[in-house]
Amino acid sequence: MYGGGNVFEATKFDDLQTEDPVKLAEFEARIARGEKIEPNDWMPQLYRKQLIRMIEQHAHSEIIGALPEGTWITRAPGFRRKMAQMAKVQDEVGHAQLLYSAAETLGKTREQMLTDLINGKSKYSNVFNYPAFTWADSNIISWLIDAGAIVNQMANAKGSYGPYSRALERICAEEAFHLKYGHDAVVHMATGTPKQREMIQAALNRWWPPIMTFFGPSDKMSTHTETLMRWKVKMASNDECRQQFLDMYVPKIWELGLTVPDPNLKKNMETGQWEYTEPDWDEFKRVINGDGPCNAERLAVRRTAEERGAWVRRALLNPKAKYVRPLA
Amino acid sequence: MSLTSLDPRVTRLNLPEGEAPAIEPKPELDQFETYEVFHQKKEGAAYTYVGPVHAPNEEVAFLFAKEQYSRRAACTGMWIARTEHIQVTPYAGDGENVYDMVRAQDPTEQSEQPEPYEIFHLKKRGKAHTHAGRVMATSYQEALQEARNQYGDKGPIVNVWVVMSKHVLQSAEEDKDMWTTIPEKKYREAIAYKVMDKITKYKEEHKTTAS
Repeated sequence: MYGGGNVFEATKFDDLQTEDPVKLAEFEARIARGEKIEPNDWMPQLYRKQLIRMIEQHAHSEIIGALPEGTWITRAPGFRRKMAQMAKVQDEVGHAQLLYSAAETLGKTREQMLTDLINGKSKYSNVFNYPAFTWADSNIISWLIDAGAIVNQMANAKGSYGPYSRALERICAEEAFHLKYGHDAVVHMATGTPKQREMIQAALNRWWPPIMTFFGPSDKMSTHTETLMRWKVKMASNDECRQQFLDMYVPKIWELGLTVPDPNLKKNMETGQWEYTEPDWDEFKRVINGDGPCNAERLAVRRTAEERGAWVRRALLNPKAKYVRPLA
Repeated sequence: MSLTSLDPRVTRLNLPEGEAPAIEPKPELDQFETYEVFHQKKEGAAYTYVGPVHAPNEEVAFLFAKEQYSRRAACTGMWIARTEHIQVTPYAGDGENVYDMVRAQDPTEQSEQPEPYEIFHLKKRGKAHTHAGRVMATSYQEALQEARNQYGDKGPIVNVWVVMSKHVLQSAEEDKDMWTTIPEKKYREAIAYKVMDKITKYKEEHKTTAS
Protein backbone atom coordinates (compact mmCIF):
# COMPACT_ATOMS: atom_id res chain seq x y z
CA MET A 1 0.00 0.00 0.00
CA TYR A 2 1.14 3.47 -0.66
CA GLY A 3 0.87 6.75 1.07
CA GLY A 4 0.11 9.13 -1.71
CA GLY A 5 -0.15 12.85 -1.35
CA ASN A 6 3.33 13.77 -2.34
CA VAL A 7 3.79 17.42 -1.81
CA PHE A 8 6.27 18.45 -4.44
CA GLU A 9 7.85 21.50 -3.00
CA ALA A 10 10.53 23.47 -4.70
CA THR A 11 14.10 22.40 -4.12
CA LYS A 12 17.30 24.24 -4.69
CA PHE A 13 17.86 22.08 -7.76
CA ASP A 14 14.75 23.58 -9.24
CA ASP A 15 16.68 25.77 -11.56
CA LEU A 16 16.96 23.99 -14.88
CA GLN A 17 19.24 26.77 -16.15
CA THR A 18 22.17 24.96 -14.61
CA GLU A 19 21.51 21.78 -16.63
CA ASP A 20 23.27 21.01 -19.90
CA PRO A 21 20.70 22.13 -22.51
CA VAL A 22 21.65 19.47 -25.09
CA LYS A 23 21.42 16.63 -22.59
CA LEU A 24 18.20 18.02 -21.15
CA ALA A 25 16.64 18.15 -24.63
CA GLU A 26 17.67 14.54 -25.32
CA PHE A 27 16.28 13.45 -21.96
CA GLU A 28 12.97 15.20 -22.57
CA ALA A 29 12.73 13.83 -26.11
CA ARG A 30 13.24 10.30 -24.81
CA ILE A 31 10.37 10.68 -22.34
CA ALA A 32 8.18 12.33 -24.97
CA ARG A 33 8.76 9.30 -27.23
CA GLY A 34 7.43 7.11 -24.42
CA GLU A 35 10.79 5.54 -23.57
CA LYS A 36 11.72 4.76 -19.98
CA ILE A 37 14.73 6.25 -18.22
CA GLU A 38 17.20 3.70 -16.83
CA PRO A 39 19.63 4.23 -13.92
CA ASN A 40 22.77 4.99 -15.92
CA ASP A 41 21.12 7.58 -18.17
CA TRP A 42 21.86 11.24 -17.76
CA MET A 43 19.04 12.92 -15.83
CA PRO A 44 18.41 16.41 -14.43
CA GLN A 45 19.11 16.89 -10.71
CA LEU A 46 15.47 17.77 -10.13
CA TYR A 47 14.31 14.49 -11.68
CA ARG A 48 16.71 12.45 -9.56
CA LYS A 49 15.93 14.35 -6.39
CA GLN A 50 12.14 14.14 -6.70
CA LEU A 51 12.17 10.47 -7.63
CA ILE A 52 14.37 9.55 -4.68
CA ARG A 53 12.05 11.47 -2.41
CA MET A 54 8.92 9.91 -3.86
CA ILE A 55 10.14 6.30 -4.02
CA GLU A 56 11.73 6.56 -0.58
CA GLN A 57 8.48 7.87 0.97
CA HIS A 58 6.64 5.08 -0.78
CA ALA A 59 9.04 2.48 0.68
CA HIS A 60 8.73 3.93 4.19
CA SER A 61 4.92 3.88 3.83
CA GLU A 62 5.01 0.18 3.08
CA ILE A 63 7.19 -0.72 6.02
CA ILE A 64 5.33 1.54 8.49
CA GLY A 65 1.96 0.63 6.95
CA ALA A 66 2.55 -2.96 8.02
CA LEU A 67 2.31 -1.86 11.67
CA PRO A 68 -1.36 -0.81 12.05
CA GLU A 69 -2.50 -3.99 10.30
CA GLY A 70 0.03 -6.10 12.17
CA THR A 71 -1.68 -4.88 15.34
CA TRP A 72 -4.46 -7.43 14.85
CA ILE A 73 -2.50 -10.48 13.68
CA THR A 74 -2.41 -12.01 17.15
CA ARG A 75 -6.17 -11.59 17.60
CA ALA A 76 -7.51 -12.13 14.09
CA PRO A 77 -10.88 -13.91 14.25
CA GLY A 78 -10.04 -17.37 12.98
CA PHE A 79 -6.99 -19.12 11.58
CA ARG A 80 -7.68 -18.42 7.92
CA ARG A 81 -7.96 -14.68 8.56
CA LYS A 82 -4.81 -14.77 10.65
CA MET A 83 -2.92 -16.45 7.80
CA ALA A 84 -4.32 -14.00 5.24
CA GLN A 85 -3.50 -10.99 7.44
CA MET A 86 0.05 -12.26 7.88
CA ALA A 87 0.44 -12.84 4.15
CA LYS A 88 -0.73 -9.29 3.49
CA VAL A 89 1.61 -7.76 6.05
CA GLN A 90 4.49 -9.80 4.62
CA ASP A 91 3.64 -8.49 1.15
CA GLU A 92 3.83 -4.91 2.41
CA VAL A 93 7.27 -5.45 3.89
CA GLY A 94 8.34 -7.09 0.62
CA HIS A 95 7.11 -4.02 -1.25
CA ALA A 96 9.34 -1.86 0.93
CA GLN A 97 12.35 -3.98 -0.08
CA LEU A 98 11.54 -3.58 -3.78
CA LEU A 99 11.07 0.16 -3.43
CA TYR A 100 14.19 0.79 -1.36
CA SER A 101 16.15 -0.95 -4.12
CA ALA A 102 14.49 1.17 -6.83
CA ALA A 103 15.42 4.34 -4.90
CA GLU A 104 18.96 3.03 -4.41
CA THR A 105 19.53 2.89 -8.16
CA LEU A 106 19.30 6.71 -8.03
CA GLY A 107 22.14 6.98 -5.54
CA LYS A 108 20.72 7.05 -2.01
CA THR A 109 21.72 3.99 0.02
CA ARG A 110 19.31 1.93 2.07
CA GLU A 111 21.34 2.84 5.17
CA GLN A 112 20.74 6.55 4.50
CA MET A 113 17.04 6.02 3.89
CA LEU A 114 16.52 4.01 7.09
CA THR A 115 18.48 6.57 9.10
CA ASP A 116 16.32 9.37 7.70
CA LEU A 117 13.14 7.44 8.45
CA ILE A 118 14.05 6.79 12.09
CA ASN A 119 15.24 10.35 12.64
CA GLY A 120 12.03 11.75 11.17
CA LYS A 121 13.79 13.41 8.26
CA SER A 122 11.89 11.39 5.64
CA LYS A 123 8.14 11.06 5.73
CA TYR A 124 5.76 8.20 5.16
CA SER A 125 2.05 8.19 4.49
CA ASN A 126 0.32 10.20 7.17
CA VAL A 127 -2.60 7.76 7.56
CA PHE A 128 -0.35 5.28 9.34
CA ASN A 129 0.02 7.69 12.24
CA TYR A 130 -3.54 6.73 13.22
CA PRO A 131 -4.34 3.68 15.36
CA ALA A 132 -6.26 0.54 14.44
CA PHE A 133 -8.55 0.39 17.49
CA THR A 134 -10.42 -2.76 16.51
CA TRP A 135 -10.30 -5.61 14.01
CA ALA A 136 -12.78 -3.57 11.97
CA ASP A 137 -10.27 -0.70 11.69
CA SER A 138 -7.80 -3.16 10.26
CA ASN A 139 -10.45 -4.25 7.70
CA ILE A 140 -11.08 -0.66 6.65
CA ILE A 141 -7.34 -0.16 6.17
CA SER A 142 -7.04 -3.38 4.14
CA TRP A 143 -9.84 -2.32 1.87
CA LEU A 144 -9.89 1.45 1.51
CA ILE A 145 -6.30 2.46 2.20
CA ASP A 146 -5.13 -0.22 -0.19
CA ALA A 147 -7.75 0.95 -2.69
CA GLY A 148 -6.33 4.46 -2.48
CA ALA A 149 -2.83 3.06 -2.82
CA ILE A 150 -3.78 1.18 -5.95
CA VAL A 151 -5.19 4.32 -7.59
CA ASN A 152 -1.85 5.97 -6.91
CA GLN A 153 0.34 3.06 -7.87
CA MET A 154 -1.44 2.29 -11.13
CA ALA A 155 -0.84 5.89 -12.17
CA ASN A 156 2.80 5.86 -11.08
CA ALA A 157 3.52 2.53 -12.81
CA LYS A 158 3.16 4.43 -16.09
CA GLY A 159 5.84 6.88 -15.00
CA SER A 160 9.11 7.34 -16.81
CA TYR A 161 11.61 5.73 -14.42
CA GLY A 162 12.29 2.08 -15.34
CA PRO A 163 13.19 0.61 -11.92
CA TYR A 164 10.17 2.24 -10.22
CA SER A 165 7.81 1.01 -12.94
CA ARG A 166 9.17 -2.52 -12.68
CA ALA A 167 8.75 -2.54 -8.89
CA LEU A 168 5.22 -1.13 -9.15
CA GLU A 169 4.08 -3.74 -11.65
CA ARG A 170 5.08 -6.44 -9.21
CA ILE A 171 3.45 -4.57 -6.33
CA CYS A 172 0.16 -3.94 -8.16
CA ALA A 173 -0.18 -7.66 -8.92
CA GLU A 174 0.03 -8.45 -5.21
CA GLU A 175 -2.29 -5.62 -4.22
CA ALA A 176 -5.12 -7.30 -6.14
CA PHE A 177 -5.28 -9.85 -3.32
CA HIS A 178 -5.16 -7.13 -0.65
CA LEU A 179 -8.08 -5.28 -2.12
CA LYS A 180 -10.27 -8.38 -2.44
CA TYR A 181 -9.28 -9.57 1.00
CA GLY A 182 -10.10 -6.18 2.53
CA HIS A 183 -13.40 -5.91 0.69
CA ASP A 184 -14.38 -9.42 1.76
CA ALA A 185 -13.58 -8.63 5.39
CA VAL A 186 -15.64 -5.41 5.33
CA VAL A 187 -18.56 -7.12 3.58
CA HIS A 188 -18.47 -9.90 6.16
CA MET A 189 -18.82 -7.37 8.99
CA ALA A 190 -21.34 -5.16 7.20
CA THR A 191 -23.64 -8.07 6.37
CA GLY A 192 -23.19 -9.71 9.77
CA THR A 193 -24.75 -9.16 13.18
CA PRO A 194 -25.88 -5.70 14.38
CA LYS A 195 -22.78 -5.57 16.58
CA GLN A 196 -20.52 -6.31 13.61
CA ARG A 197 -22.23 -3.63 11.52
CA GLU A 198 -21.83 -1.16 14.34
CA MET A 199 -18.12 -1.97 14.58
CA ILE A 200 -17.44 -1.54 10.87
CA GLN A 201 -19.43 1.72 10.73
CA ALA A 202 -17.47 3.06 13.71
CA ALA A 203 -14.20 2.12 12.03
CA LEU A 204 -15.28 3.80 8.79
CA ASN A 205 -16.17 6.93 10.76
CA ARG A 206 -12.71 6.99 12.34
CA TRP A 207 -10.85 6.35 9.09
CA TRP A 208 -12.79 8.54 6.67
CA PRO A 209 -11.05 11.84 7.57
CA PRO A 210 -7.54 10.35 7.20
CA ILE A 211 -8.61 8.63 3.96
CA MET A 212 -9.72 11.96 2.51
CA THR A 213 -6.25 13.39 3.16
CA PHE A 214 -4.55 10.30 1.73
CA PHE A 215 -3.92 11.84 -1.69
CA GLY A 216 -2.61 15.08 -0.24
CA PRO A 217 -3.82 18.68 -0.60
CA SER A 218 -4.80 20.12 -3.98
CA ASP A 219 -1.69 20.68 -6.06
CA LYS A 220 -0.55 24.19 -6.60
CA MET A 221 -0.14 24.28 -10.34
CA SER A 222 3.30 25.78 -10.60
CA THR A 223 5.81 25.49 -13.42
CA HIS A 224 7.52 23.04 -11.11
CA THR A 225 4.49 20.70 -11.15
CA GLU A 226 4.19 21.08 -14.91
CA THR A 227 7.83 20.06 -15.33
CA LEU A 228 7.37 16.96 -13.17
CA MET A 229 4.27 16.00 -15.11
CA ARG A 230 6.08 16.46 -18.43
CA TRP A 231 8.87 14.23 -17.14
CA LYS A 232 6.29 11.64 -16.05
CA VAL A 233 7.36 11.76 -12.42
CA LYS A 234 3.97 12.96 -11.26
CA MET A 235 1.32 11.14 -13.25
CA ALA A 236 -1.92 12.61 -11.92
CA SER A 237 -2.85 15.47 -9.65
CA ASN A 238 -3.80 14.74 -6.03
CA ASP A 239 -7.37 15.86 -6.74
CA GLU A 240 -7.63 13.61 -9.79
CA CYS A 241 -6.59 10.63 -7.67
CA ARG A 242 -9.07 11.58 -4.93
CA GLN A 243 -11.92 11.92 -7.44
CA GLN A 244 -11.08 8.56 -9.01
CA PHE A 245 -11.04 6.91 -5.59
CA LEU A 246 -14.42 8.41 -4.65
CA ASP A 247 -15.88 7.34 -7.98
CA MET A 248 -14.78 3.77 -7.51
CA TYR A 249 -15.43 3.21 -3.81
CA VAL A 250 -18.20 5.43 -2.47
CA PRO A 251 -20.85 3.37 -4.37
CA LYS A 252 -19.33 0.19 -2.94
CA ILE A 253 -19.59 1.63 0.59
CA TRP A 254 -23.16 2.77 0.05
CA GLU A 255 -24.35 -0.53 -1.37
CA LEU A 256 -23.52 -2.11 1.98
CA GLY A 257 -25.85 0.36 3.68
CA LEU A 258 -22.94 2.04 5.41
CA THR A 259 -22.84 5.78 5.89
CA VAL A 260 -19.93 7.95 4.86
CA PRO A 261 -19.47 10.43 7.71
CA ASP A 262 -19.57 13.54 5.54
CA PRO A 263 -23.02 15.14 5.05
CA ASN A 264 -21.64 17.16 2.12
CA LEU A 265 -20.41 14.20 0.12
CA LYS A 266 -22.23 13.93 -3.18
CA LYS A 267 -21.47 13.68 -6.85
CA ASN A 268 -22.32 16.77 -8.82
CA MET A 269 -23.96 15.33 -11.91
CA GLU A 270 -23.31 18.47 -13.96
CA THR A 271 -19.59 18.62 -13.36
CA GLY A 272 -19.12 14.89 -12.81
CA GLN A 273 -17.02 15.80 -9.77
CA TRP A 274 -17.48 14.71 -6.18
CA GLU A 275 -18.16 17.46 -3.66
CA TYR A 276 -17.08 16.98 -0.07
CA THR A 277 -16.19 18.78 3.10
CA GLU A 278 -12.64 20.03 2.76
CA PRO A 279 -10.39 17.81 4.90
CA ASP A 280 -8.73 19.35 7.92
CA TRP A 281 -5.38 20.22 6.39
CA ASP A 282 -4.17 21.85 9.60
CA GLU A 283 -4.52 18.53 11.38
CA PHE A 284 -2.83 16.83 8.41
CA LYS A 285 0.16 19.16 8.73
CA ARG A 286 0.30 18.80 12.49
CA VAL A 287 0.25 14.99 12.31
CA ILE A 288 2.72 14.71 9.45
CA ASN A 289 5.10 16.88 11.44
CA GLY A 290 5.08 14.44 14.32
CA ASP A 291 2.10 15.29 16.49
CA GLY A 292 -0.23 12.41 15.65
CA PRO A 293 -1.58 9.65 17.87
CA CYS A 294 0.94 7.00 16.71
CA ASN A 295 3.97 8.81 15.22
CA ALA A 296 6.19 8.13 18.23
CA GLU A 297 5.16 4.48 18.48
CA ARG A 298 5.65 3.76 14.78
CA LEU A 299 9.17 5.16 14.77
CA ALA A 300 10.05 3.58 18.11
CA VAL A 301 9.13 0.14 16.77
CA ARG A 302 11.21 0.67 13.62
CA ARG A 303 14.11 2.04 15.60
CA THR A 304 14.07 -0.85 18.06
CA ALA A 305 14.01 -3.41 15.28
CA GLU A 306 17.05 -1.76 13.71
CA GLU A 307 18.92 -1.41 17.02
CA ARG A 308 18.22 -4.89 18.35
CA GLY A 309 19.15 -6.52 15.03
CA ALA A 310 22.36 -4.52 14.58
CA TRP A 311 24.64 -7.09 16.25
CA VAL A 312 23.32 -9.86 14.02
CA ARG A 313 24.01 -7.82 10.91
CA ARG A 314 27.49 -6.93 12.17
CA ALA A 315 28.25 -10.58 12.90
CA LEU A 316 27.13 -11.66 9.43
CA LEU A 317 28.94 -8.95 7.52
CA ASN A 318 31.63 -10.24 5.21
CA PRO A 319 34.73 -8.04 5.83
CA LYS A 320 35.49 -8.08 2.09
CA ALA A 321 32.02 -6.89 1.16
CA LYS A 322 31.83 -3.92 -1.18
CA TYR A 323 28.73 -1.88 -1.82
CA VAL A 324 27.54 -1.64 -5.42
CA ARG A 325 24.23 0.00 -6.34
CA PRO A 326 21.58 -2.39 -7.61
CA LEU A 327 21.59 -2.42 -11.40
CA ALA A 328 17.96 -1.91 -12.26
CA MET B 1 6.88 4.07 31.94
CA SER B 2 7.11 1.89 28.90
CA LEU B 3 5.03 2.31 25.80
CA THR B 4 1.59 0.69 25.81
CA SER B 5 0.29 -0.16 22.38
CA LEU B 6 -2.91 -1.56 20.88
CA ASP B 7 -0.56 -4.22 19.51
CA PRO B 8 0.38 -6.61 22.33
CA ARG B 9 3.57 -7.51 20.46
CA VAL B 10 4.67 -3.88 20.66
CA THR B 11 3.76 -3.56 24.34
CA ARG B 12 5.94 -6.60 25.07
CA LEU B 13 8.98 -4.80 23.57
CA ASN B 14 9.11 -2.55 26.68
CA LEU B 15 9.96 0.51 24.65
CA PRO B 16 10.68 3.72 26.54
CA GLU B 17 8.01 6.37 26.13
CA GLY B 18 8.69 9.85 24.86
CA GLU B 19 11.15 11.43 22.48
CA ALA B 20 14.16 9.34 21.51
CA PRO B 21 17.46 11.00 20.61
CA ALA B 22 18.43 10.86 16.94
CA ILE B 23 20.34 7.76 15.89
CA GLU B 24 23.81 7.93 14.45
CA PRO B 25 23.80 7.48 10.68
CA LYS B 26 23.84 3.77 9.91
CA PRO B 27 27.32 2.59 8.94
CA GLU B 28 28.10 1.61 5.39
CA LEU B 29 27.12 -2.00 4.57
CA ASP B 30 24.81 -2.21 7.60
CA GLN B 31 22.32 -3.46 5.01
CA PHE B 32 24.91 -5.66 3.26
CA GLU B 33 25.80 -6.05 -0.39
CA THR B 34 23.36 -6.39 -3.23
CA TYR B 35 22.66 -9.38 -5.45
CA GLU B 36 20.63 -9.48 -8.65
CA VAL B 37 17.94 -12.13 -9.02
CA PHE B 38 16.65 -13.95 -12.12
CA HIS B 39 13.74 -16.33 -12.15
CA GLN B 40 12.33 -18.92 -14.49
CA LYS B 41 8.58 -18.51 -14.77
CA LYS B 42 7.88 -21.96 -16.17
CA GLU B 43 9.82 -25.01 -17.34
CA GLY B 44 11.91 -24.25 -20.39
CA ALA B 45 11.42 -20.47 -20.25
CA ALA B 46 14.44 -18.16 -20.32
CA TYR B 47 15.60 -16.81 -16.96
CA THR B 48 14.40 -13.23 -16.49
CA TYR B 49 15.54 -10.47 -14.16
CA VAL B 50 13.20 -9.83 -11.24
CA GLY B 51 15.13 -7.42 -9.03
CA PRO B 52 17.81 -7.07 -6.35
CA VAL B 53 18.15 -8.31 -2.76
CA HIS B 54 20.48 -7.26 0.04
CA ALA B 55 22.25 -10.11 1.81
CA PRO B 56 25.44 -10.96 3.74
CA ASN B 57 26.36 -13.91 1.51
CA GLU B 58 25.24 -15.96 -1.47
CA GLU B 59 23.28 -18.55 0.51
CA VAL B 60 21.26 -15.97 2.42
CA ALA B 61 20.79 -14.00 -0.79
CA PHE B 62 19.25 -17.10 -2.33
CA LEU B 63 16.86 -17.55 0.60
CA PHE B 64 15.85 -13.87 0.53
CA ALA B 65 15.40 -14.03 -3.24
CA LYS B 66 13.21 -17.11 -2.95
CA GLU B 67 11.08 -15.36 -0.34
CA GLN B 68 10.89 -12.06 -2.18
CA TYR B 69 10.43 -13.18 -5.77
CA SER B 70 8.92 -16.66 -5.75
CA ARG B 71 6.55 -16.39 -2.76
CA ARG B 72 3.69 -14.91 -4.73
CA ALA B 73 4.38 -15.86 -8.33
CA ALA B 74 4.92 -19.00 -10.36
CA CYS B 75 8.59 -19.97 -10.41
CA THR B 76 10.46 -23.10 -11.47
CA GLY B 77 14.03 -21.96 -10.92
CA MET B 78 16.16 -19.09 -9.65
CA TRP B 79 19.62 -17.66 -10.33
CA ILE B 80 21.42 -15.04 -8.29
CA ALA B 81 24.63 -13.11 -8.92
CA ARG B 82 26.43 -10.52 -6.85
CA THR B 83 25.82 -7.10 -8.44
CA GLU B 84 29.56 -6.44 -8.40
CA HIS B 85 30.13 -9.41 -10.75
CA ILE B 86 27.83 -8.19 -13.49
CA GLN B 87 29.30 -6.06 -16.28
CA VAL B 88 26.88 -3.65 -17.90
CA THR B 89 27.07 -2.07 -21.37
CA PRO B 90 25.78 1.45 -22.03
CA TYR B 91 22.02 1.74 -22.67
CA ALA B 92 20.82 2.31 -26.24
CA GLY B 93 17.49 3.87 -27.13
CA ASP B 94 14.41 1.77 -27.79
CA GLY B 95 14.57 0.16 -31.24
CA GLU B 96 18.37 0.44 -31.41
CA ASN B 97 20.94 -2.31 -31.03
CA VAL B 98 23.55 -1.62 -28.38
CA TYR B 99 25.96 -4.07 -30.05
CA ASP B 100 26.27 -1.53 -32.88
CA MET B 101 27.48 1.05 -30.37
CA VAL B 102 30.03 -0.88 -28.31
CA ARG B 103 33.49 -1.15 -29.74
CA ALA B 104 35.73 -4.13 -29.10
CA GLN B 105 37.84 -3.39 -26.02
CA ASP B 106 41.03 -4.89 -24.72
CA PRO B 107 40.46 -7.27 -21.81
CA THR B 108 41.19 -5.90 -18.35
CA GLU B 109 41.61 -9.37 -16.92
CA GLN B 110 42.06 -12.57 -18.87
CA SER B 111 41.90 -16.27 -17.98
CA GLU B 112 44.22 -18.82 -19.59
CA GLN B 113 41.43 -21.13 -20.65
CA PRO B 114 38.04 -20.04 -22.03
CA GLU B 115 35.35 -20.01 -19.34
CA PRO B 116 31.57 -19.84 -19.58
CA TYR B 117 29.78 -16.47 -19.31
CA GLU B 118 26.04 -15.83 -19.10
CA ILE B 119 24.56 -13.15 -21.38
CA PHE B 120 21.39 -11.19 -20.59
CA HIS B 121 19.60 -8.85 -23.01
CA LEU B 122 17.20 -6.00 -22.36
CA LYS B 123 14.96 -5.64 -25.42
CA LYS B 124 13.08 -2.53 -24.39
CA ARG B 125 13.63 0.09 -21.69
CA GLY B 126 11.47 -0.52 -18.62
CA LYS B 127 11.25 -4.25 -19.34
CA ALA B 128 13.44 -6.91 -17.69
CA HIS B 129 16.76 -8.42 -18.81
CA THR B 130 16.34 -11.94 -20.18
CA HIS B 131 18.90 -14.70 -20.53
CA ALA B 132 20.10 -14.87 -24.15
CA GLY B 133 22.57 -17.70 -23.72
CA ARG B 134 26.02 -18.80 -22.63
CA VAL B 135 29.31 -18.08 -24.39
CA MET B 136 32.87 -19.26 -23.84
CA ALA B 137 35.53 -16.56 -23.49
CA THR B 138 38.72 -15.65 -21.66
CA SER B 139 37.46 -12.20 -20.53
CA TYR B 140 34.35 -10.09 -20.11
CA GLN B 141 35.29 -8.12 -23.22
CA GLU B 142 35.71 -11.24 -25.31
CA ALA B 143 32.43 -12.63 -23.91
CA LEU B 144 30.64 -9.50 -25.10
CA GLN B 145 32.11 -9.87 -28.59
CA GLU B 146 31.13 -13.55 -28.62
CA ALA B 147 27.62 -12.61 -27.52
CA ARG B 148 27.44 -10.10 -30.34
CA ASN B 149 28.46 -12.78 -32.86
CA GLN B 150 26.02 -15.34 -31.53
CA TYR B 151 22.99 -13.33 -30.41
CA GLY B 152 23.62 -9.79 -31.60
CA ASP B 153 21.32 -9.80 -34.61
CA LYS B 154 18.12 -10.79 -32.80
CA GLY B 155 16.17 -7.56 -33.04
CA PRO B 156 16.62 -4.45 -30.92
CA ILE B 157 18.81 -4.90 -27.86
CA VAL B 158 18.97 -1.92 -25.53
CA ASN B 159 21.41 -3.22 -22.94
CA VAL B 160 23.56 -6.27 -22.19
CA TRP B 161 24.65 -7.79 -18.89
CA VAL B 162 27.61 -10.19 -18.84
CA VAL B 163 28.48 -12.37 -15.85
CA MET B 164 30.83 -15.31 -15.43
CA SER B 165 28.83 -18.51 -14.99
CA LYS B 166 30.83 -19.44 -11.92
CA HIS B 167 29.51 -16.29 -10.22
CA VAL B 168 25.90 -17.29 -10.75
CA LEU B 169 24.32 -19.42 -8.03
CA GLN B 170 21.70 -21.55 -9.73
CA SER B 171 18.93 -23.55 -8.10
CA ALA B 172 19.46 -27.27 -8.68
CA GLU B 173 17.34 -29.52 -10.84
CA GLU B 174 16.92 -32.05 -8.00
CA ASP B 175 15.55 -29.34 -5.69
CA LYS B 176 12.66 -28.57 -8.03
CA ASP B 177 9.99 -29.42 -5.46
CA MET B 178 10.97 -26.35 -3.42
CA TRP B 179 9.06 -24.23 -5.95
CA THR B 180 5.77 -26.05 -5.51
CA THR B 181 3.16 -24.00 -3.68
CA ILE B 182 0.79 -25.99 -1.53
CA PRO B 183 -2.87 -25.58 -2.51
CA GLU B 184 -3.86 -24.53 1.04
CA LYS B 185 -2.36 -21.12 0.35
CA LYS B 186 -5.28 -19.96 -1.77
CA TYR B 187 -6.18 -17.45 0.97
CA ARG B 188 -3.55 -15.12 -0.46
CA GLU B 189 -5.01 -15.11 -3.96
CA ALA B 190 -7.59 -12.53 -5.03
CA ILE B 191 -9.62 -15.30 -6.61
CA ALA B 192 -10.28 -16.91 -3.21
CA TYR B 193 -12.49 -13.97 -2.20
CA LYS B 194 -15.96 -14.00 -3.66
CA VAL B 195 -18.02 -11.24 -2.09
CA MET B 196 -20.73 -10.65 -4.67
CA ASP B 197 -23.03 -13.40 -3.29
CA LYS B 198 -22.99 -11.84 0.17
CA ILE B 199 -23.58 -8.36 -1.23
CA THR B 200 -26.46 -9.48 -3.45
CA LYS B 201 -28.09 -11.37 -0.58
CA TYR B 202 -27.71 -8.37 1.69
CA LYS B 203 -29.21 -6.01 -0.88
CA GLU B 204 -32.19 -8.30 -1.46
CA GLU B 205 -32.87 -8.53 2.24
CA HIS B 206 -32.49 -4.82 2.87
CA LYS B 207 -33.60 -3.33 -0.44
CA THR B 208 -30.73 -0.88 -0.43
CA THR B 209 -29.92 0.70 -3.73
CA ALA B 210 -26.42 1.39 -4.88
CA SER B 211 -26.46 4.92 -6.14
